[in-house]
This record gives sequence, C-alpha cells and structure tokens, in this order.
Amino acid sequence: MSEHGFEEVLAPNQYYDRQFNVDAVKILPGEYYVTRRDMLVVTVLGSCVAACIRDRSNGIGGMNHFMLPDSGQGSDPLSNSARYGSYAMEMLLNQLLKLGAKRQNLEAKVFGGGNVMKHFTVHNVGQRNSTFALDYLKTEKIKVVASDLEGIYPRKVYFFPKTGKVLIKRLRNIHNTTIYERESEYSSRLQQSPIAGDVELF
Amino acid sequence: MAKIVLTVDDSASIRQMVAFTLKSAGYEVVEAVDGADGLQKAKAKAVNLILSDQNMPKMDGITMIKELRALPQYKTVPILMLTTESGETMKSQGKAAGATGWLVKPFDPQKLLEVVKKVIG
Repeated sequence: MSEHGFEEVLAPNQYYDRQFNVDAVKILPGEYYVTRRDMLVVTVLGSCVAACIRDRSNGIGGMNHFMLPDSGQGSDPLSNSARYGSYAMEMLLNQLLKLGAKRQNLEAKVFGGGNVMKHFTVHNVGQRNSTFALDYLKTEKIKVVASDLEGIYPRKVYFFPKTGKVLIKRLRNIHNTTIYERESEYSSRLQQSPIAGDVELF
Repeated sequence: MAKIVLTVDDSASIRQMVAFTLKSAGYEVVEAVDGADGLQKAKAKAVNLILSDQNMPKMDGITMIKELRALPQYKTVPILMLTTESGETMKSQGKAAGATGWLVKPFDPQKLLEVVKKVIG
C-alpha cells in the first residue's frame, strides 16, 4: 500500500496468458510495468490513457495507466494535472532507463482517453488525458509511432514490449461496471491526495 | 542581483515547471539535461543553488554531487535533489555524497519555493 494517494506503483498482477502462451502482467489504474523479457502487458482503459514505451533497439519496454486528477485548471503549467501527469510518465521512463533503455531510442504508442465516464463532472476527461499524453511526449521528444485515442468505447490493450506489437480490442459490450468503478476509485483517490512528495532538509 | 539556480533534469517538462516556478519568484534559472551537462554548466557559471534529478542518462544526480563537492567553488553551495526516488537507501547515499536536501516528485511549487528561499534566501 502506498503512503500517498497519488503514488504510481509497479503492477503486481502477474499470470500466464493461455491465449498467447506467454507470461503476462495486468496493469490497473495508477500502476506501471517495465520488462526486458518477451512477455505481454495488458490493461483495460476507459477514460484513462496508457503509454506503451520501448527502446526500439533492445526491446526493453513498459506501459503505464493513468488519468489527470483535475479538470478546471486550463493551461496552468503547474496545475495538479500537469505535475501528476509528468510524474506518472517519469515513473515509467525512469524504470525503462534503469533496465537499460536509452532515451534517444524510445518510441511510444498511446491509447485510451475514451469518453466513457458519463457520470464525471466534465465530459472531456478522456480528451484531456489524451492531449496531455501527446503533449508530454512531444515535449520530451519521444516519437509517437501509433495511437488510438478518445471515442466512446473502453479498450483492452495487449502490448508485447519485445517486438512493440500492440493489439487493441474495443469493448462495445460491457457486462459489468468494473472498469468504471476502478477509474472512479482512482480518480477520487487522486482528487483527495495533495499532489506533492515529501521534503527533507539534511 | 538575482540569485542563480541550476536545474538539472533529463525531463524537459520538469525543467520547464521548475524554471516557471523559480523565475516567477525572481530567480535566474540555468538548465542542464543530465549530470554531465550540469557539471559543465556549474563549472562555466557560478550558481547559488543546484536542483537535481537522480536518474538521468550519462551521469546521475548523486555522481554529479560527488564531482561538484570535489571542486573548491562547490564545497558549500546548496544542492537539493528533486527526484521520484523516495527510498531511504538512496536518500542516505545522497546525503553522504553531500546533498543539502531531498525533495520527492511530484513537487508542490509553494513548498519548492519555501525550501529554495530557506537555503539561499
């Protein structure tokens, strides 16, 4: 359990995927995962976004799954959203670099940002998440080689970091409310948490 | 004369946010993209404070601190770490290398300014 509500954590849900015959990890909102191995990283996105980033020369890759915490702060460069979004992306990038990825070799695929959370106060939450992810990657000079963003359907994303291959399933028929409940819980956790890390002077 | 802060981070987004925060309070900001660049910029121009990330290509923050502390002109200049690393082991390594403080990302702009004012006025 993280100490702060905003903290991004390494995804702990690993399993063997019988459909693709490969080790897999499932990422939930607020989690990320990075690997050197030939495996599968899976997530289901509503209005959240996921960036799949890999080093195209050595196949080290990973994925995150996040949303921005607030809606009304426009273009404030220091808003909770700007700072949390940058933090969520940096957690993924730092882990990639630690495992041996090179910044100059990174490429990204970005997914999600659907307009699926009808009960959210603002209806452009998916669009804001999508725009942030694309703007962030542009600022960081990480090339976006594919994307499937916005629209009205949730998505299931299958990412194979070793090859960079991504399969997307648009979920036109949802039989339960799990996606919405998870995203709502994540959203309220972010809104209740001050988006600020600890400070210590030695 | 404005005090000069060197911000060292491989993330352009973070450098922009730090620069925006500090410039709005009247500080002059110099940017560096990694530890090696930070070391070079600090040698080229005397700065009053260094604010550095830890995980960066070419040279990490703690290695840069060790190199800076070996230079007579940077023996006592405050160096704050601004990083996603929150573990005690890494913090202890930073402290042993000569860091003045440890700020964990995401940073609160007001808190950052308070700390900067506290260490350099």
